[in-house]
Amino acid sequence: MNGAQAMVECLKLEGVTKIFGIPGVAIAPFYDAVYQEPAVEHVLMRQEQNAGHAASGYSRISRKPAVCVTSSGPGATNLITALATAYADSIPLIAITGQVDSHLLGRDVFQEADMRGATESFVKYSYLVKSPDDIPRIMKEAFFVASTGRKGPVLIDIPCDVQRMEMKKPFKYPDEVNMRGYKPNTKGNAQQLAKVIDAINHSKKPLICAGGGVILGEGEEVVRAFCEKNNIPLVSTMMGIGVLRKSHPLYFGMLGNNGKPYANRAVANSDLLIVVGARIADRAVPKPENLEQQVKVIHIDIDTAEIGKNLGPTLPLVGDVRNIFQALLESDIHIDTKAWLEKLEDIKKNTVDTRHFSDRFVNPMLFVQSLSEKMEEDAIYVADVGQNQLWSADNYVMKAGRFLTTGGMGTMGYSIPAALGAMVCAPGKQVVAVCGDGSFQMSMNELATAAVNKIPLKVIVVKNRYLGLVKEYQHKNYDDRFSGVKLYDYPKYDKFAEAYDMKFFHVENNEERDGILDAFLACEHSALLVCEVDSGDVTV
Amino acid sequence: MKGIFSVLVENRDGVLSGISGLFARRGYNIDSLAVGETEQRDVSSMTIVSTGDSRTIDQIEKHLNKKLDVIKVRRLDESRSIMLEMLLVKVGYTMGNRASLIELCNVMGAKIMHLSPKAMVIEMHSDPERVEEFIELVRNFGILELQRTGTIAVAKG
Repeated sequence: MNGAQAMVECLKLEGVTKIFGIPGVAIAPFYDAVYQEPAVEHVLMRQEQNAGHAASGYSRISRKPAVCVTSSGPGATNLITALATAYADSIPLIAITGQVDSHLLGRDVFQEADMRGATESFVKYSYLVKSPDDIPRIMKEAFFVASTGRKGPVLIDIPCDVQRMEMKKPFKYPDEVNMRGYKPNTKGNAQQLAKVIDAINHSKKPLICAGGGVILGEGEEVVRAFCEKNNIPLVSTMMGIGVLRKSHPLYFGMLGNNGKPYANRAVANSDLLIVVGARIADRAVPKPENLEQQVKVIHIDIDTAEIGKNLGPTLPLVGDVRNIFQALLESDIHIDTKAWLEKLEDIKKNTVDTRHFSDRFVNPMLFVQSLSEKMEEDAIYVADVGQNQLWSADNYVMKAGRFLTTGGMGTMGYSIPAALGAMVCAPGKQVVAVCGDGSFQMSMNELATAAVNKIPLKVIVVKNRYLGLVKEYQHKNYDDRFSGVKLYDYPKYDKFAEAYDMKFFHVENNEERDGILDAFLACEHSALLVCEVDSGDVTV
Repeated sequence: MKGIFSVLVENRDGVLSGISGLFARRGYNIDSLAVGETEQRDVSSMTIVSTGDSRTIDQIEKHLNKKLDVIKVRRLDESRSIMLEMLLVKVGYTMGNRASLIELCNVMGAKIMHLSPKAMVIEMHSDPERVEEFIELVRNFGILELQRTGTIAVAKG
């Protein structure tokens, strides 16, 4: 067995059935091994960054590490943005990159790039494989590291000669991992837990702020049960959308600059904020120092380094969300939140949305609402980056499905490849990618991947002929000096849809919205819908 | 405040750059860094001295712990650890001030390693503060070249 075959065997043993990538000379032995292994199917993408995003979409639905593969040099460096995106969003990926032959390393030969060095700050861990006999251990470790603790991408850079080389020892996949520097703490310190329970019992106006970590840690159900048992309301960050349904009486929306003003007011009015699996980054909480003074904060996270990074001092509790909330669920908590919930309802009712939308075009807020209401109960909504993301996050009607977006890195072009990855993972599930005309043009080449693989991809372009969010920023901060943001009327979307064998839909006003959305969602074929919005419409 | 970290790491390629990269990336200071093998060949020891407010020092400790190649992080208390630095300094002298330079070395416990007609190479190892004092004292004589290691430290007891 050679190194490449050993790698593919490891993938098989990890239960990997689909991988996303683009081949090249430096990864050719691996591709040859994949060719000969029917259990591992390769999906050819059109650009390496999209292979990373597709793996991200796949992983978020399978809730396991997903695999992307590239060649060396430019193929590998193209992947870096996807790795940075996955790292910021804590998505477990295994990135396999081909490398020049070992004896050529460091000589700047054709298509050599130092991938370990280049990705140092964007991966949880990385390997440069030096011997085929190390492969079983490395692969076992990589899957373990990616999927435990705070999840994230792991890079395996493998020189071409190591892929070709025969193993000297017989192949044996290790049963367990032994890394002395990596022992993620999942349990939660009992003393801290007691303090948390005490703080909750002494609070009158507790509020949970759920971040993406709740979903990554598969803690939705137990957090929901905890909220319901103790009548504690919940707000979410953008990455935390999905812990409670939108219609849930304890849900008070997404917080932050682009969230619901009543969610922010709920935070400001609470006396105990329980932050779970959230970074408290600038978009969610612009001035954490104010928050520290206003309310007592409990910070629950799997990553010790998150405690005190953006917010402090807090009552920290480090551990896995499921373990901790199971313990909280079983603990003795007796609080009466009736008055607090009434106050929140009051705040919600009295917060008026002052945003104005042009009625000459489609109202993007109503569009997202209508779309997500019409989507199937367990459908997957993939939001891109830009105004479309903020309108999506703000107005998405969460049911029992998933809302996928990149809240951490905010990488334009994420939605189409991530939706493809989600669809490869869950064929038959309704998946819709929603992007703007800017983000669409950053990954529209992947429509070919959908066509070739007969994936009935549904893409919505919220079109305003501008890089809308930058334009909005220039409107507010640069006196309407719109610099470098005009996209004009390209591409011709109807022709584009035709070029990729997609059905084309066009919504130009609010009146025709519902009818066209119905037809679009009912369409069994892959489809492209263009929704015309006014370039003067704003998100905040 | 000062943070002194004694860090045990895997003795592997890329580990040092990972640790120094962590400091650079997050804007933490490295005042000094000393690295060497320990009694176990596959484990290296790093002593890192940094300054920052207490929140920064806490964050450094957490981020060091987060690194997968870091086996153990210990934060050392200055008063409860033995700290040592080594200094090699070449100082110019004249016949007029030679005696006082030699006397200074004797008082401070520094050793003259080499003597040439116009300069002497002096070695000193002591706690970082004393090394700093000695440098200030010889500065008046004219320092021609100076090399100093980072701090190494071991907790007492």
